[in-house]
Amino acid sequence: MKFGNILKKELRELITVQAIFSMIFTMVLLIVMGQIMGGAMEEGFDTSQITLCNQDDSEFTADVLKKVDDSESTNINYVELQSDDYAAEMERLGIKNLVIIPKGYGESITEKQEPAPVKFVSVFQTGGITSSIGTITASDVIGEIETVCTNEVLLKSYGLSDEEISLIRDPMQTVEYTVNNEKIAEVSPSSLGAIYMMQSMIAPFAIFFLLLMASQMIMTAISTEKIDKTLETLLSAPVSRMSVLGAKMAAAVITALLNALFMIVGFVFYIIGMMGSTVGEISMNAGPETIDVPVSEVTNMGQAMAELGLALTPMSYVLFALQLFLTIAIGLAVSLILGAMATDVKSVQTLTLPIMVAVMIPFFITMLSDVNSMSLGFKVIVYAIPFTHTYTALTNLMNGDMLIYWIGLIYQIIFFAVCMFLAVKMFTTDKLFTVSFNSDKSRKKKKAQTEEQ
Amino acid sequence: MGTVLEVKELSKKYPKKTNFAVDKISFSVNEGEIFALIGPNGAGKTTTIRMISTLIQATDGDAIVSGHSIIKEPDKVRENITYLPDEAGAYKTMTGISYLNFMAGLFAKDQETLDKYVERGKAICGLGDRLNEKIGGYSRGMIRKLLLARAVMTEPKLAIMDEATSGLDVINALEIRKMIKTLAKEHNMSFLLSSHNMLEIEYVSDRVGIMTNGRLMVVGGIDELKERYQAANLEEVFERVVKNNEVR
Repeated sequence: MKFGNILKKELRELITVQAIFSMIFTMVLLIVMGQIMGGAMEEGFDTSQITLCNQDDSEFTADVLKKVDDSESTNINYVELQSDDYAAEMERLGIKNLVIIPKGYGESITEKQEPAPVKFVSVFQTGGITSSIGTITASDVIGEIETVCTNEVLLKSYGLSDEEISLIRDPMQTVEYTVNNEKIAEVSPSSLGAIYMMQSMIAPFAIFFLLLMASQMIMTAISTEKIDKTLETLLSAPVSRMSVLGAKMAAAVITALLNALFMIVGFVFYIIGMMGSTVGEISMNAGPETIDVPVSEVTNMGQAMAELGLALTPMSYVLFALQLFLTIAIGLAVSLILGAMATDVKSVQTLTLPIMVAVMIPFFITMLSDVNSMSLGFKVIVYAIPFTHTYTALTNLMNGDMLIYWIGLIYQIIFFAVCMFLAVKMFTTDKLFTVSFNSDKSRKKKKAQTEEQ
Repeated sequence: MGTVLEVKELSKKYPKKTNFAVDKISFSVNEGEIFALIGPNGAGKTTTIRMISTLIQATDGDAIVSGHSIIKEPDKVRENITYLPDEAGAYKTMTGISYLNFMAGLFAKDQETLDKYVERGKAICGLGDRLNEKIGGYSRGMIRKLLLARAVMTEPKLAIMDEATSGLDVINALEIRKMIKTLAKEHNMSFLLSSHNMLEIEYVSDRVGIMTNGRLMVVGGIDELKERYQAANLEEVFERVVKNNEVR
């Protein structure tokens, strides 16, 4: 009853209206951002429309443009220019990209048999990733026009049939395979990599936020109680110190999980919103395009990942959850020790730093590279940070690197046991009231020593 | 009259310190008695109080609270005491009433007792409807009243209070002193107080113990000490004991 009473009080302290608002706000912000980004990207990809000014009156150019129009993969918006001032003309027409086929283009190709320039004008934009999508799409359309041009030349100048042209243009049928841990699957490694990255990038984010939030919460909870002397009142009441300690840790875990839930929901929607169309595209193009087989047979990424041993089994999720729990428990135990040392708000901020560094280093390292492929020395240093094992757990489980996983798990258990032993020792002895960290005091001490020297 | 607190040769030495913070002190507090520990800053009053409250461990000696040793049965000791630290705060996100409920829940064994404690707390603090407001909006005086009510609502055998009236204005401080006296006389509660306010101690206490440098120099009733030191008031006694090391 007393444990429940304290837990209720701790939760009431941590889950305030402001905290709930902040959780909802973060989630909604991520969802909205995903929608905005996705919308912008979709708009960019949908812009298979190009503005074209045809100044050439040759039959060749007319035939090429007709074939491009007939292909229905692009939508050409034809315009007439009033002057050669392209900047002013684009401003007048309200367009970002413009292709100009100059007079004499067709003649140069058919009569002189010489390549001729086609102008492509784009407005320079600095609006982030999505702003460049329009230009990329326009370049693709130009590429398509170029292909039709080549086909026309081969057809008209050399009299080749459609089959011959197709053979010349595409003489190699590429079938892509990916190998992982001595297993092989018929799938493009780049497409697989994109899916793999999207699947595994949520976990590090969740771990990162979960750890930081849980640690900061428990640290603030303990230090505030100590600074306000409510801890003395609480611990002189007929309630065991272990109940107080347990209730505080449980409340921090519950609140952190709630925070993480909101954040992950937001993040998943962000990814879906942003990458939704792209994921579809990757899935559709995942297999070798050149093989004429049903798409489902070669583009089933889940099947390919399972064949390569990269799919997560229910057991993998259980093992990952176990390590995630241990990581949070370690974070809480360390924060508990640090929080109990705080004497004022300033010292709380200073004491948060070691946790933040220990959480951020493996987060960035695992995001940017593969820890397992690093040199032994560096690997030992990075794996000495207990949180690293959870960041790499998902990858290790997906790759079947079970030895690294189990070593990591055992290391985390030992680390947690040591931290918990220290935390309990601190909480059940005088140290809770006698050990303190005062940033000002240490600064003054240092200053005094310098002056003495 | 039974003894509620029996302090026997109690000592405390903090790690890395050469001197004892509390050096073999002995005294007792009887049922319904108000006993005050006075002394200059660093004399060891708060350390003594914290040891009796089971917050820190004694290096040597013992203290018996209602028959329970602070060393061997700290859990039992905590059932018989309440402690009000100097400049203590309360949970700002709670309302006054939920704070009383929460603290009563730590002492009460059933709902009926809990309700009784809370009702008593409400009556003692005198905060009325403001108990429904968040503690974050309370003045320092209001918080102190709430904490005092919390400390006595469970009618502990021994209420330990460090600077009970600190932060209170004259009227509120007077009310608290009267309340302590009433609770001691009418409810047979015992109090162990610590204060720098000699007037307050003289008004409220039955007996005092004067501490300096971790040692309990003198123990006695107010009038008894004044007579022993031929002093006009407690302040003079204090000065002679602390400044001149006069032990009579």
